[in-house]
Amino acid sequence: MENAASEEEKLLEFLYAAPVGLVEIDASGSIGMINPYAMKHLLPLAGTRDATNLFTILESCAPELRNRLDSFAGQRGTVCDGHRITVDLRRAQDGAEPKVLACTLVKLDVDRAIACISDITVQVAQERRLKQAEAWFSSLINDVNDYAVGSITSDGVVDAVNASWTEQTGYAQETLIGQTLADIFPPSAGDRNSSLVEQLRLAARDGWYLDEMWHDRKDGSRFWCQRLIAARLGSDGQLAGYTLVLRDITRQTYDTDDLRRLLTQDHLTGAANRARFQQIFDREHRAWCQHGSPLSLIMLDIDHFKRVNDTYGHPTGDLVLSRFAETIAKAVRPSDVFARLGGEEFAVLMTATDLSEAAEIAERLRVLVADMRVQTAQADLAITVSLGCATAVPNEDLIRSADEALYTAKRNGRDRVHTIGPAAVAA
Amino acid sequence: MTAIIDATFEKVGCGELQTMPVEVRDHLPFGVVGLDAGGITRVYNETEARMAGLNPEKVLGTSFFDAVAQCMNNFMVAQRFEDEHELDAIVPFVLTLRMRPTRVRLRLLASKSRPLRFILIDR
Repeated sequence: MENAASEEEKLLEFLYAAPVGLVEIDASGSIGMINPYAMKHLLPLAGTRDATNLFTILESCAPELRNRLDSFAGQRGTVCDGHRITVDLRRAQDGAEPKVLACTLVKLDVDRAIACISDITVQVAQERRLKQAEAWFSSLINDVNDYAVGSITSDGVVDAVNASWTEQTGYAQETLIGQTLADIFPPSAGDRNSSLVEQLRLAARDGWYLDEMWHDRKDGSRFWCQRLIAARLGSDGQLAGYTLVLRDITRQTYDTDDLRRLLTQDHLTGAANRARFQQIFDREHRAWCQHGSPLSLIMLDIDHFKRVNDTYGHPTGDLVLSRFAETIAKAVRPSDVFARLGGEEFAVLMTATDLSEAAEIAERLRVLVADMRVQTAQADLAITVSLGCATAVPNEDLIRSADEALYTAKRNGRDRVHTIGPAAVAA
Repeated sequence: MTAIIDATFEKVGCGELQTMPVEVRDHLPFGVVGLDAGGITRVYNETEARMAGLNPEKVLGTSFFDAVAQCMNNFMVAQRFEDEHELDAIVPFVLTLRMRPTRVRLRLLASKSRPLRFILIDR
């Protein structure tokens, strides 16, 4: 008897801890058995509905499951396999990927079925990114004559280029070899792309870096260029150099250029838009999880901005926003990502930057904004900004922490920086 | 041998739960789970062990929200302990005791002045 009891206990322990959800239901969806993992993901979906019926729980996000079991003709068999349920419970502002569950439903007999539930949020996000990369590589291969290839040493010196390079840029091969990347890609005015050093760092870290920008030819003309930097590893696994691919996509220039801007830039201020910010934030946050190099975030909110709009009208408000964005964009470093997240709410995401450095930058930005005067037809306007500063720490939501810091800065009287994080605790 | 404490599901406090004799806590009519700041199970009374079908010795010292109560590892319970350091709330919940969906009331208790946080389970 004792043995049977301990066997049952082991079985229960196993099911309590299993990292996958199992649910047994009858034909109406009423739950007979369910393990904690399944309940963890399902109960939050139930809201005020009956949480003991699977179909009722899933009514708002996967009503089709009930129909699929109902219309399944066979006595038994797989009704659906890995069916995706987009849950998306969280606010988009969390920067989190929308939650996706996978559900496999197997009919056992007329009145019994088993569902297996798992959380595939991360896999879905990875798939999406892979698809983007694949699309680019396939377009590259389809158009083989159109690209120039060069080889760069790990120190950033050109040691070989192919003939297409000369055709595209007008520079002879022998004049290119021995030059540095900075020589052949001088930063152009209004270049909002991250610095070459930063691009090489990203390529070494992620395997490749892809961007688009104007590229100058020898004769002074220029073309819109897709530039891929791929890291080359030696047999010892160490970085041996980079392969550089240039692709002239001038033919589609204005379309691509406009589309790219539309997709990544805020129309009014030229800062990165919310979607772009989320994309970069995800990438950098993942990198931070893997490598731990400090990642900090400043949230900025213009003080009493509503008064500007109410007193002087929206055109003036827009002018203030543009001037504000211009001031910040000029002051941040090339590797920082400056984005507009909402009306008068902005963010600066900083890689390889710890909290104290971020706080110093925030204070510098605060002073710059306080000193700024916006000339309008009605008056010279002065504005102030409140800033919240935080750095990534395990198990803390960086965006939320920076948001909280921002609200504290507002509460404490505005026109100030508030810093949250380990340094604040230690201080 | 009667303990003179108002140890009802609705009234009992963090301090009493922590200081009451183990045998008294074990015989309360509701489940008592006490967690330390790291989420490790430090108290698991007999009532709860019986209902869940688990041996307290196997549960004590493990991470409660990972090993035993994954279903509470979301914003409804675990997140609240993260967010609220002073907490006394009763929430309707559905547990998976012995894999059976079971409607219960949970009382979540946390106090800054007490090292353990408690989850009381009333069926």
